[in-house]
Amino acid sequence: MRVLATAAAIPCCAQFHGYSQEPIHSLGLWWRRRCSPGARVPSSSRPTRFHVSLSQRPQDHNVGGRDTDEMFDDLLKKYGKVVYRGGDRKRPSAEADDDAESLSFAVTLAKVANEVKAADIRVLFVKPLVYWTRFFIIVTAFSRPQIDAIGSKIRDIAEQQFNKVASGDTKPNSWTLLDFGDVVVHIFLPQQRAFYNLEEFYGNATPIELPFDNQSPFRS
Amino acid sequence: MIQPQTLLNVADNSGARELMCIRIIGAGNHRYAHIGDVIVAVIKEAVPNMPLERSEVIRAVIVRTCKELKRDNGMIIRYDDNAAVVIDQEGNPKGTRVFGAIAQELRQLNFTKIVSLAPEVL
Repeated sequence: MRVLATAAAIPCCAQFHGYSQEPIHSLGLWWRRRCSPGARVPSSSRPTRFHVSLSQRPQDHNVGGRDTDEMFDDLLKKYGKVVYRGGDRKRPSAEADDDAESLSFAVTLAKVANEVKAADIRVLFVKPLVYWTRFFIIVTAFSRPQIDAIGSKIRDIAEQQFNKVASGDTKPNSWTLLDFGDVVVHIFLPQQRAFYNLEEFYGNATPIELPFDNQSPFRS
Repeated sequence: MIQPQTLLNVADNSGARELMCIRIIGAGNHRYAHIGDVIVAVIKEAVPNMPLERSEVIRAVIVRTCKELKRDNGMIIRYDDNAAVVIDQEGNPKGTRVFGAIAQELRQLNFTKIVSLAPEVL
């Protein structure tokens, strides 16, 4: 499993670089070479050296830990070089605009959930933690009809005001998930919310202040 | 390439340790299941004192395969093991956390719950 994590982390790294619009270093090059041994990619001896240092990693090394990340960063700084730069590179200002747009969308959805008497509404900025979305909205509902009401209202507002269609659950479920791309809405029953405990899992995410009173009269 | 009789590891904390595929759901006449397919499986090995027990029949989503997963952009992902996440009839995961790296194709296949519980998405 440990070996898997390392092996899997390599394409992940290459892809993360692709998505975050940062230059791909020779790590990506090494990965490509490994995946398709038939394809010869010209390279200097440097990436090869990096490969050796990876595979000769001591057994007791903590993979996935902070040390490894720092070690990779150091190695990339020392031996890494840009082999490919993504063409769809966004400027930081465009990125900030997208963030602001998603934030207003997320806050609007949270307001809508509050109108339908959802409790304990949390909006988390998870972009620094995961690359596949920007905001999580986690709300509690107390019955399946209420989940249905919250879900359909959120879908309606998103479609009317923001022209976005959700994928995810269509029927009310004990954990109903609406996926709007940049914003993901989780509607839980109280029991499921405690069971999955998503807030703890995303504990490092920045909570967003909401403009309304978030205390539910139903909560004990 | 998962087919009936294939043994899979379990990539969550539901309490099962090893599964055996007995049927691929929605595949029609297709022989193999790939990442994102739902299978019916039997628990061959389970952790003691957990809700799931040996020889129970459950549904699971395949999250990792040894067979390469090809993307349109030329990227190829291959894992070291075959692994699945146990789900219930509604599609909610039975465990609360998913272990290891999983592919983002699961999100397109409407398994965003599993993606949001995973520590790493490729």
